[in-house]
Amino acid sequence: MPERRILEGIRVLTLEQVHALPWGTSFLADLGAEVIRVESLNHLQDRKAGPFPDGHPSKEWWNEGGNLAYFGTRNKRSLCMDVTAPKGKEAFLKLAQNCDIVTDNFRPGTMERFGFGHENLTPLNPKIITLSSTAFGYTGPWRRAGSRARTVDASCGMSYLTGYEGGPSQRASNNYMDHSVGNNVAYALLLALYQRDKTGKGMRIDLTMQETGVSAIGPAILETQRGISRPRLGCGHLWKSPHNVFPCRGYDRWIAITVSSEEQWQQLKHAMEEPDWATDPRFDTAQRRWQNRHALGEYISDWTRTQDDHELMDHLQNHGVAAGAVLTAEDLVSNPHLNKRNYIQEFENLNAPQAGPRKYAGRPFRMQDISFSIRSVAALGEHNLETLRDVAGLSDKEIGALISEGIISTQPLPTEPHP
Amino acid sequence: MKILSDVKVLEVAHSLSGAFCAKLLADQGANTIKVEPPGWGDPARREPPFINGVSDPEASSIFLAFNTNKRGITLDIEQPQGRELLLRLVSNADVLIESYPPNHLEGLGLGYEVLRETNPGLILASITYFGQTGPYRDYIGSELVVQALGGFLHAVTGSADLPPMGTALEQMEITAARNGAIAIMAALLHRQQSSEGLHIDLSTMESVVSTPSGLIHPYTFTGRNPKRGGSDGNVMDGMHLPTKDGEVTLTTAGTGGRAMEAWAEFLEEPRLLDQKFSTRISRLDNWEELHNLVAPKLSTWNNLDLMREAMARGLVIGLVQSPQQVLDSPHLVERGYFVEINHPQAGSLKYPSPGFLMDEENPMDGSKSAPTLGEHNAAIFGDELGLSVEELSLLRASKVI
Repeated sequence: MPERRILEGIRVLTLEQVHALPWGTSFLADLGAEVIRVESLNHLQDRKAGPFPDGHPSKEWWNEGGNLAYFGTRNKRSLCMDVTAPKGKEAFLKLAQNCDIVTDNFRPGTMERFGFGHENLTPLNPKIITLSSTAFGYTGPWRRAGSRARTVDASCGMSYLTGYEGGPSQRASNNYMDHSVGNNVAYALLLALYQRDKTGKGMRIDLTMQETGVSAIGPAILETQRGISRPRLGCGHLWKSPHNVFPCRGYDRWIAITVSSEEQWQQLKHAMEEPDWATDPRFDTAQRRWQNRHALGEYISDWTRTQDDHELMDHLQNHGVAAGAVLTAEDLVSNPHLNKRNYIQEFENLNAPQAGPRKYAGRPFRMQDISFSIRSVAALGEHNLETLRDVAGLSDKEIGALISEGIISTQPLPTEPHP
Repeated sequence: MKILSDVKVLEVAHSLSGAFCAKLLADQGANTIKVEPPGWGDPARREPPFINGVSDPEASSIFLAFNTNKRGITLDIEQPQGRELLLRLVSNADVLIESYPPNHLEGLGLGYEVLRETNPGLILASITYFGQTGPYRDYIGSELVVQALGGFLHAVTGSADLPPMGTALEQMEITAARNGAIAIMAALLHRQQSSEGLHIDLSTMESVVSTPSGLIHPYTFTGRNPKRGGSDGNVMDGMHLPTKDGEVTLTTAGTGGRAMEAWAEFLEEPRLLDQKFSTRISRLDNWEELHNLVAPKLSTWNNLDLMREAMARGLVIGLVQSPQQVLDSPHLVERGYFVEINHPQAGSLKYPSPGFLMDEENPMDGSKSAPTLGEHNAAIFGDELGLSVEELSLLRASKVI
């Protein structure tokens, strides 16, 4: 069966940078939407973010980075154009007139200053859907503040809840919130398209990173209203035990083991060949195993410490115990389960032949004959001509003027430093 | 009229990922029926803590949080009569979300082929820890086990010289659920074009792997195997530092490459301009000294004052807010972020909403609480499927409902 492109015919115009919004629009691009990413001729931070082949950016570094293929310009088009120049602005508005969705992740007010706000666009395109993905939204006292994924972990409450047992709070992740927000962006845009199919009306979406984060800690938000606070427990659990990571043979090798029921505890004991210590009355009920979790952890660690993490995982799983080796990036690339499921995609970016084929994480879902793979990765300004001609309706002469005036380009400005 | 008010969802999930995925749809107005086994119900009902401090299957905080805007019925689908009733519900549904071990539904005569015969347009979303195929397919998972197998524990949070550490509060279940909602929306749009349903095979482990961008492709590009500890000794870009009434994490973002100048001025501490703090690497090398300069200055600030002043100067910081501080946040209050919902046993509580306003409206305004066990049995089996009072009491007696 041929691959289906569910969003064929849908056009998205996006002024996006860093991580969350490019991640979100990449789902729409996978589904066949024509996602036009407008990039500037300088401030090319995303194209400097790499990772570069073997760690070294070449002379033509701007098309090489692995993040571009993973989400930056994955299945998208690139229009490299200075939208702050009057002619660039004019071309942007012509594009917007023929697009279904316009997205940005500038701080609130920037799009309005450019003349690209929702109120500016609706007279040109009454069915337009606009989405701004910001740290804190378009209203409220913090609307002018910026963020990074890590500061969102902090401001949404997640980092406060994260930490080793008895220890201080720690950042919850590096860029988990970028991905959660990107997923929320994709969901919100698909909802808006679904709605527009029914009503013929566009909409304005004000999406925030902080609020996406708070939506992921709902239980703690409810608990605090009744004076209940969650302790930090590292890999521990509020009431399950054993529930932790335990050392294995080799440098920095670990296994996660979680026991959720009496039956699983019996299975774990069986897998450990019924050691004498396991009959200790301190461990004979779930509650006592939790109270004495540190002593229990030491016994289990003594048993796991000499074993290979993968063999031990298989052994425990064969006995019905939830267990998983703590995998590194290197382990994941060669993982038999992920490879058997064709989860990891090898892709060669034709716009960066010097990089050769590299492997990427896939999408976590499969649907019959709907592909979510990387098909192309846009080089800087690769689609300048066709988007300006076919979508904005500019003449060859007008496009020629944009080139000669340096408003569009396929290369960074010479002043843009090498990464 | 909410966006998904024309979509009927059945959740037969007994997992947090399935429940949260159905909640995402229900919060947008999908007519969502949660199907629970009679007697015990969803295992999440038994999860402490309980909102009123005493064990109560109607008042588990995680159950309340993950099941807003659903109606609830009880049905034992392992019994033939239960199976028949489920098929009747399926014949009228758009989406079925399930999280049984692979092949379990086939064993009950409820595999995708049977469901599709009943309803060719059905979208079946199977959300499991490891997916429907592959060598780990029948493995037993848990939140921590998939954080381990998905590469999160080794590399994402925690300290380099301590064991791997996880991220709080079932985030991997939530990540799987968010991916599920995207896949289901794609399938709904697909069905408008082709009128065909689909089977979605979603793996939580794969959701974990795809989430931090620092794993697969950075490794294959550079051979670098990232390890936890990115905030160890990282005073300006990672550590949490105490304030007068909380904690904060700083960044060097938004300073146009003049980070230490900006912070020296803000904190009124000229010693931050010392050459030994001028690069990321040199700051790590001299982190204790840097910490001793920065921490006392920050400890004179209140959180909200610090946020206001940093924002005014374009500096990017993160207040490390407790859930209570989040709830009390003047910013979120002004945006109308929390919605108050009453529940017969748990009482009135403020719930978080999805994270976006649509045409300045919160899509969760007017929300309903999680259903009590079997709350809508009479409405759904009686009024909607047309079973008589006698039939219902027979089903109750044989513990089908």
